[in-house]
Amino acid sequence: MRSSMKHALTTATAAALALALAACGGGSGGGKSDDGPKVDPAAVQGALDKPATITFWSWVPNIEKTVALFEKKYPNINVEVVNVGQSKDQYTKLTTAMKAGNGAPDVAQIEYFALPQFALTKSLVNLADYGVGSLKDKFAASAWSQVNVAGGIYGVPQDTGPMAMFYRKDILDKLGAAAPKTWEEFAALAKKVHEADPSSYVTYVDPGDPGTATSFMWDFGGKPFKVEGTTDVTVNLKDDAGAKAYADTMGPLIKDKLIDVTGSWNDEWWKSMAAGKYPIWITGAWAPAVLEKNIPQSKGQWSVAPMPGGASAENGGSSVAVTTQAKNKEASVAFAQWLNSDPEAVKSLNSEVGLFPATKVLLDDPGFRSAEVPFFPGSKPNEVFADMSKAVRPDWQYLPFQVYANSVFKDTVGQSLQGGGDLGQGLAAWQERIKTYGKEQGFTIK
Amino acid sequence: MRRSAVRRNLTAHAFFLPFLAVFAIGVVAPLVYAVNLSLYQERMIGGTSFVGLDNYAKALEDTLFHVGLGRVALFFAIQVPLMLGLALLAALVIDSGRLRAPGVFRIGIFVPYAVPGVVAALMWGYIYGDRFGLAGEVEDLFGVDLPDFLASGWMLASIGNIVTWSYVGYNMLIFYAALRAIPDELYEAAEMDGAGSIRKAWSIKLPALRPALLLATIFSVIGTFQLFNEPSVLQALAPAVITTNYTPNMYAFSLAFEGRQFNYSAAIAVMLGLVTVVVAYVVQLVTARRERML
Repeated sequence: MRSSMKHALTTATAAALALALAACGGGSGGGKSDDGPKVDPAAVQGALDKPATITFWSWVPNIEKTVALFEKKYPNINVEVVNVGQSKDQYTKLTTAMKAGNGAPDVAQIEYFALPQFALTKSLVNLADYGVGSLKDKFAASAWSQVNVAGGIYGVPQDTGPMAMFYRKDILDKLGAAAPKTWEEFAALAKKVHEADPSSYVTYVDPGDPGTATSFMWDFGGKPFKVEGTTDVTVNLKDDAGAKAYADTMGPLIKDKLIDVTGSWNDEWWKSMAAGKYPIWITGAWAPAVLEKNIPQSKGQWSVAPMPGGASAENGGSSVAVTTQAKNKEASVAFAQWLNSDPEAVKSLNSEVGLFPATKVLLDDPGFRSAEVPFFPGSKPNEVFADMSKAVRPDWQYLPFQVYANSVFKDTVGQSLQGGGDLGQGLAAWQERIKTYGKEQGFTIK
Repeated sequence: MRRSAVRRNLTAHAFFLPFLAVFAIGVVAPLVYAVNLSLYQERMIGGTSFVGLDNYAKALEDTLFHVGLGRVALFFAIQVPLMLGLALLAALVIDSGRLRAPGVFRIGIFVPYAVPGVVAALMWGYIYGDRFGLAGEVEDLFGVDLPDFLASGWMLASIGNIVTWSYVGYNMLIFYAALRAIPDELYEAAEMDGAGSIRKAWSIKLPALRPALLLATIFSVIGTFQLFNEPSVLQALAPAVITTNYTPNMYAFSLAFEGRQFNYSAAIAVMLGLVTVVVAYVVQLVTARRERML
């Protein structure tokens, strides 16, 4: 068993090497043709045979289980998983540590939207230098494109969140309604739900949740942010077609009080979700694990359908990056690589940790697609998710300072959501704040 | 003779040194660091450059900063007198000797102060919730329609309520301690002059409380202008109501850690410190003048 695994590994390394060489020759890898590995990939793999300790910042519950598999396989490497807080909290600490010059982990969980910011501030190692470019074909295109920043590769995709529609089958059945296939049907259902029960809304919108709002713009075909090179940034929230479509679809429903405006992820919101106050939740494919953990009592009531309109976008999802403060960069890179692309690891990430995969190893696996998910008895949600992953619109870009932009979302778009749904005004205000900041940071803003 | 004086001085200095070291490391160094930080600008593109007082000039024109400052000033003008008034009343009542078990009241009023600020804000957040919180349950139970305490019109008052709940006991204790320090002879003399309880409170207790009142007010100035915990906890419940610049401290925090504008954030922090010092000084000046007038 062990030797066969080792053999497989050597083969994989050789294949990776060949691919990296091919990428060099073809120049079609992660960016410019001079982005081939600067460090011998064999050295990266070899680092796993020497004793080392890797600190890994991650807030993903149960990720220790997959890390344990790694440690079992590479007993010389000791990985310390540290949870310093979720998303924003971790970025705050990482920013501080990078600023201080020490205290950062070797490896960190970083969501796609935050990756450009950390990459451009030279907090992260360009993994292309370590031959990670060869992994391209193992990942879904939408995931791979998101770890490509300014011609480099700054993370290994870990999980993705292709948007899908989660709905309460029990409630829609009672209303005699089906899952909406178009946004028109969605609007009609919104009326129906609220008329049947005035305390219920088809769904909610969180004025403090920029991630979902940008995903919707993405889903509607928007490209409000464009980055060229490292310094040229275009911000076009005001006139972008997708942003407009988002405003025109959601705005009127919010104005007519058919969509509730509320904070989310707090106790009150979970109680509402469990009570069926919002029969539809449009969100990333990572949701099943979260639902099961927080409202296990609603098992069997939820079902999954494709997005209204058929297209999709990514919502959330993260990569694993190596920081420039990493003491043993080779081992860190090898760990990040193994954790997210080794077949054994990605299976564990999915089944034991509950992440929705970024890798084709699973997305194209018939066993994965047809797997039963206990929270959704009698249905095959992975099939919907995998299809949605394919339906993600290409070429979306986040700002190189999306963490900041997201933080002022509630000051701008959030205000117009709260204030009755005149989204045009909020989007314009958001654009202003983003542009001002970008100019101050030395970007050429268009 | 002289040598022993020098030696005595040296000994004195040796005793003084530990304090000086801690003071320099703990107080002076961070201040110098913050001021120094505020004179630079670090950009994602272009690196760090010395900009002199540019960050301060920017802060003077920054409406986001001013809005936050105005908000805490309003908070100070309304919440602090209310809180100190309540604390004063509680101290006078407990000190009056007319309560059956003054210790119980004293502890009872003080206990909220022992609850960590973040926990207090979380707890009140649940109480305020109009869907599933206590407010929501009261609405359902009695069929009344309470206002939404977490809506923008009510938020500042709701935060004021949390702060008042937390700090009345603390301030009451300061006042109570000052009252206990009044010598009994004064009361005896006043009684002989025929003064009643009200007169005693007005003519003996209140004047004796003035230094304590000043102290409590200055603490409140600092606490108010640095308001952070309560709004940032409630932000999770009402994200669009509590903006990134809701209070100056929150603004500095979000500039530094969400916008990576450490330098500008340092300038905001220094400005906020200066405003606090000025307000505290004005409070002291007003009190001192009144004292002279009396």
